[in-house]
Amino acid sequence: MVSPPDALVELDEVTKAYGKVLALEQVSARFFRGEIHCVLGENGAGKSTLMGILAGFVIPERGSFMIHGKPAPMGRPESMKQQGFAMVHQHFMLVPNFTVAENLCLTNHGGKGVVLNPKSQTLVAATLAKDLGWKLDLNLLVADLPVGAQQRVEILKALMSNPEILILDEPTAVLSGPEVEDLFDVLRTLKAQGKAIILIAHKLDEVMAIADRVTVLRKGKLVAGALLSETNRDQLAQWMVGEIPPVPELIANQAGEEILRLSGLDVRGDRGELSVKGISLAVKAGEVVGIGGVDGNGQIELAEAVVGIRPSQATLRELPSKIGFIPQDRQGQGLALNLSIRDNLLIGGLEDKSLGSGLFFASQRVKNWATQLIKEYEIKIGSPLDPVASLSGGNQQKIIVSRVLSQNPPLVVAVNPTRGLDIRAAEYVHRRLRMAARQGAGVLLISTDRDELTALSNRILVMHNGELEQIS
Amino acid sequence: MKKVFPILAIALGLVLSLVLTLFAFGLDVPRSLGLIFDGALGNRFGLATALVRSTPLVLAGLGMVVAWRAGMFNIGGEGQYMMGALGGAWIAQILIPIAPAPVVNIAILLVGTVFGALFAAFAGWLQVSRGVQVVISTILLNFVAFEVVNWAIRGPLQEAKRQLPQTQSLPDAVMMMRFDPQTSLHSGVIFPLIAVGVVWVFLFVSKAGLKLRFVGDNQDAGKANQLPTGRIQISAMAWSGGLCGLAGTIDYVGLVGHLGSGHAQNWGFLAIPVALLGGLHPVGTLLSGLYFGVLFAGSENLARFTPIGTTIVYVIQAVAVLSFVAFPRLAGEWVKRTSAKKVALAGSPREGVE
Repeated sequence: MVSPPDALVELDEVTKAYGKVLALEQVSARFFRGEIHCVLGENGAGKSTLMGILAGFVIPERGSFMIHGKPAPMGRPESMKQQGFAMVHQHFMLVPNFTVAENLCLTNHGGKGVVLNPKSQTLVAATLAKDLGWKLDLNLLVADLPVGAQQRVEILKALMSNPEILILDEPTAVLSGPEVEDLFDVLRTLKAQGKAIILIAHKLDEVMAIADRVTVLRKGKLVAGALLSETNRDQLAQWMVGEIPPVPELIANQAGEEILRLSGLDVRGDRGELSVKGISLAVKAGEVVGIGGVDGNGQIELAEAVVGIRPSQATLRELPSKIGFIPQDRQGQGLALNLSIRDNLLIGGLEDKSLGSGLFFASQRVKNWATQLIKEYEIKIGSPLDPVASLSGGNQQKIIVSRVLSQNPPLVVAVNPTRGLDIRAAEYVHRRLRMAARQGAGVLLISTDRDELTALSNRILVMHNGELEQIS
Repeated sequence: MKKVFPILAIALGLVLSLVLTLFAFGLDVPRSLGLIFDGALGNRFGLATALVRSTPLVLAGLGMVVAWRAGMFNIGGEGQYMMGALGGAWIAQILIPIAPAPVVNIAILLVGTVFGALFAAFAGWLQVSRGVQVVISTILLNFVAFEVVNWAIRGPLQEAKRQLPQTQSLPDAVMMMRFDPQTSLHSGVIFPLIAVGVVWVFLFVSKAGLKLRFVGDNQDAGKANQLPTGRIQISAMAWSGGLCGLAGTIDYVGLVGHLGSGHAQNWGFLAIPVALLGGLHPVGTLLSGLYFGVLFAGSENLARFTPIGTTIVYVIQAVAVLSFVAFPRLAGEWVKRTSAKKVALAGSPREGVE
């Protein structure tokens, strides 16, 4: 690979570890003026860490980071701005109850000293917007704008400081098709102005459409850096994913009847956008159906709609009355952290008549039941009356898994059930889910971990942009 | 032992804060302590007053325990207390001409409880279905309750003579039984004891109580566990308001016998620190309610001999809440933050993203 001498930003053999986990290992990359440079990779490949280093809020342990051939001021995001860096975050950093103009003043108040001068800022912004061919009413509240327009505000905000290097973190994640096209036109305009554009991405089609140069990361390592013209789509996919491991032979489960059937399911996300778009899905008893895909493509919304905790519309909906739910965020959604281990187990046993038939629990039976579960699921605890917050992540997850599976629900919905667990705990959760399926439960496994999906699923679907695609 | 030590520490701290408060007011500390002790525990009159004062504190305090455990920050105990008494006065006026006294007595207690419960449940409903936080709505509904009572005691429920803005005094037969005609001790003082048991069983043995505590600790987890979080929160408010309403009703039918605009003497507000100092636990609330009942009775006696009276109760409550509830929490946060900073400094600095 020949690199022209005028690299604007140079990363050389950069390494960053979090604890024992190497987020980046000896990664090198060069970024040039007038180029759109895509950084590609799956979840956990190290894209965010790389971006954090470029934006100045992550300091690498080893390696060098040069701007204009001089060492960059690492660890000081505010001075990165003076170096000509600007960043468009994936999650907008906007104040919803401020107008567009007020939001633009947040980074640069336009006036002298402590005086706010929205007018001068508005003028600059209006000129910028016009150059990009945008019609944007600067007096509207950001909260009233559609997502695409909010992103324009975010981009304008970044451009206000007239940066040389613009970093965009998965900017298309929230955009619809035409909005993506529009964004790409703008990026091309900015490229023509001589800016270096760094795009964090994971959608191959978009990379093929816009990139001049790509850097591919996998599990923290640099897999490839190349001009787009030197490579092709299949090559990129292979770089990104590596060799696809063979699907292990699963014990053929009894082909049961369908216990979950959905057709034309529409689910809206938190911002009111259509996150799940008319999908159809069926799960049979004894079967593990895996749903893969990159985070934020509607998987969480799908899970919550199936479990019945998020409103949704469907043309056909056949569900069992009892659904066991293993949520993705165990501390946020799974547990009441200040309550005892026993209470957190017991919340899954509310309908278990053997624990007390009327309004009350039978305390002795509850005690035996909890002790039994703790033993059976190998949960390491002090006393069942200790707060669940005192447990490690793996044991907390076991609490959730045990209380869900012990009730033998006909359908289990599990979202990233082993995220953040060590190998042993993850292995254990996998064994339990497999066992549940063998005993006749249907399991809907939603995961961003491809290894997990292939290890557990009878068949795998991929969710992309709110739609399901069958792959095996 | 693990549980006894903090209780002892708090008890000691409460006594210490009493001493410091007396000292800060410039009073003769030993003499004042003697007066307080005499006024509350020295004889049967004092003891009766202490029990009667702690009754509304414990009942409304238990109400706070239930609501706060459900994550519903009910600040409307005062209004619910008034609405309870109003419900009692209303049913009394209807039933006294037509029903025997024991029936009227029971009806007063029941209707008063229901009035308080409904009034608080309304605030709960506002939060669940309209997004109005109970912290705000219950404060404002206090004023609604005061004005409704003000209207009732000048209108439909005013005494027969129509002289004072208050309801007709209840006949003695309808009032709670007095154990000793010379003291104010009435049979209503057993209600806090019963209520402590009921609330304890409800919170820690019943299925509804588990759901309530679970939702109170983590509403999102409650939702993910397919619990009807809204219904649970509204029912917690109903329990809470019911207990506050019962407190107001017992003071009406046990102690005062009529309802005037000054019926609620901050009992509903004082119940919040009582519950907090009680660790939001029914038994703790009973103990802290009794302590403040004693302090009220004692400081009423103190007021006879010094220019300072029940004010010290408020001062001590404030000092106690700050030192036992607010300060440890702030200190805990501070320790957490500084130690986190130290860890961050020792490890790799400024980690912003993963």
